Amino acid sequence: MHGVKRKQWTQELLKQKKIQDERKIAVYRDLTSKALKSRDQCCYTPESLKDTTRLLQANPEFNAIWNYRREILIHLKTALDEEFWDSELMFTLAQLKMFPKVYWIWNHRLWTLENHSKSSVKVWERELAMVSKLLQLDARNFHGWHYRRLILDKIEKFTGCNRDKEELKFVTENINKNISNYSAWHQRTVLIPRLFANKQISDEKEFMRKEFAYITNAIFTDAEDQSVWFYINWFIKNEMVLSALEREEYINLLQDLEKNIRVINQDDLEFSGKQNNWCLKILIVIEKVQREMGLTIESHTNEYLKQLIEADPLRKNRYVSLGEEMS
Amino acid sequence: MVGELVLLKAKHIHYIEALDKKQESYEYWLTEHLRLNGVYWGLTALCLLDAKETFNKNEVIDFVMKCYVEATGGFAAFPRHDAHLLTTLSAVQILKTYDSLDVLSSSQLEKCVKFVKSNQLSDGSFQGDKFGEIDIRFVYTALSTLSILELLTPEVVDPAVNFILRCYNFDGGFGLYPGAESHAAWAFTSLGALAIVGRLNDLSENQINEIGWWLCERQVPEGGLNGRPGKLPDVCYSWWVLSSLALIDKLDWIDYDKLREYILKCQDEKGGISDRPDNEVDVFHTLFGIAGLSLMGFGNLIPVDPVYCMPVSVTKTIKKYPYN
Repeated sequence: MHGVKRKQWTQELLKQKKIQDERKIAVYRDLTSKALKSRDQCCYTPESLKDTTRLLQANPEFNAIWNYRREILIHLKTALDEEFWDSELMFTLAQLKMFPKVYWIWNHRLWTLENHSKSSVKVWERELAMVSKLLQLDARNFHGWHYRRLILDKIEKFTGCNRDKEELKFVTENINKNISNYSAWHQRTVLIPRLFANKQISDEKEFMRKEFAYITNAIFTDAEDQSVWFYINWFIKNEMVLSALEREEYINLLQDLEKNIRVINQDDLEFSGKQNNWCLKILIVIEKVQREMGLTIESHTNEYLKQLIEADPLRKNRYVSLGEEMS
Repeated sequence: MVGELVLLKAKHIHYIEALDKKQESYEYWLTEHLRLNGVYWGLTALCLLDAKETFNKNEVIDFVMKCYVEATGGFAAFPRHDAHLLTTLSAVQILKTYDSLDVLSSSQLEKCVKFVKSNQLSDGSFQGDKFGEIDIRFVYTALSTLSILELLTPEVVDPAVNFILRCYNFDGGFGLYPGAESHAAWAFTSLGALAIVGRLNDLSENQINEIGWWLCERQVPEGGLNGRPGKLPDVCYSWWVLSSLALIDKLDWIDYDKLREYILKCQDEKGGISDRPDNEVDVFHTLFGIAGLSLMGFGNLIPVDPVYCMPVSVTKTIKKYPYN
């Protein structure tokens, strides 16, 4: 059970609940035994389909009933038209609106699309629009994002071309709307290496310059949220960045980023009297990258670590361990 | 405040014992599809509380065997439901905990292994059942099941390991599928599965450090752990995150006292533990709260194995893969 407030049950409330539950239990158990019985009798009729609908509305996690529903649909398939399959999609959409985190519903929706009588690219493109909308309502729903990637794979199989460029736009729009959308930052790390591997970036140098500008802008917008910082930790260490920019320009951009992070940290210190922990964590990474590139730099890592042990005591032992690595 | 918080062991034992007596409640029937998992959660929590005998062993084993599905060879959550990898693991865990795997006849065992293996796909992943949902959780459940039965083979293990490594992400986390966002529960299923088959060494030292970093950033100021950045803390991550940290030998990268305090604050004084303070309790969060406390060495609990989420006294009898 997630997110359900604890109730204080008085004797009176318990009595009321017992009375109400008695009826609900009777209906539910009747329906369950009826459905399981007709399943055991291999009954695949529109009537039995309706029973599964009622049961799944009461309990969308009843996987044996989802399975039975699919068996019924497989048996009725030749009689089911486009209208029916669209109504099946409507049914799962209504379910998802109520229970957006139930795996079985997402899985059944995917199965429905695979079996849709008009399983053309159009159906899948319509689905892409649906999931875009859904992600507007719940921008961090990992089921939705995973589902979206599966839909995109399917469209690519139909059309023979990927939509990675459009996806990068979608992801950027999502980040611009909310810089803390970690799911969108994640998707950015999936797309960019693929765009490079598939040679879909016309000016690779310019792309990387812009990406440095983009992350710099992001940390000036919100330096507290960990999304962009995890992204930076990945981005600056990525081989593809170095090879696109070549050594000298990469070092310049990295050092510019380092200066900007120091500025943000200094601003925080002046404004709140405290340094910014994430600035310090990433400054440590940037120093390490430079050392590993053979650059001679004035190292502040030990000071940063000392500061972090004070200011971020939950993770003290990680900083102690990084310090030991240094020496 | 911290000093006043104690683990209400007797209340939790009573809470778990009473779970099967709630048949007047609608929710009891609505959760039939989780019943076998629920028995595993309850039994394991009782074991960690050193109260294994609270459940009647024979009744539990009878129930497990009623969940066996002759047609497929797997176990369902409840008699007459359908077999699934998730519930098959629960069944095998319960039987192992009772040292009773031998209640499975040789043909049942053979069919059960066949059920698990037949759900492996060509890329090494596993589907939960024939309807094709693929998820890293099922890789863990399949490998854990076969490991407890001591019947792992390289044909199953090697492709599964490849699949798990493809789920590793930019941030040191693991997704439910290659390309999917990191989530603490999948860190556990990925690292746990690698540990089961002795392949944690397939991760580089650098990856291990990134994994540890991402995991320790799950602890939020109130002491609890979240499953993903920007999300609220939840007691079940006391297990998913902590066991993962234990598997890479970085358990102390989070603050024990603060987490202990958070878990204890989620107790209901009548027994049971909830996801967050003052929420409704359930047996799932009760187990993972207690297991988290056990892993940190609090409360004089029976030690739990971070790989299997079962008592160490049980798992130490499992033969380690690769077999000699």
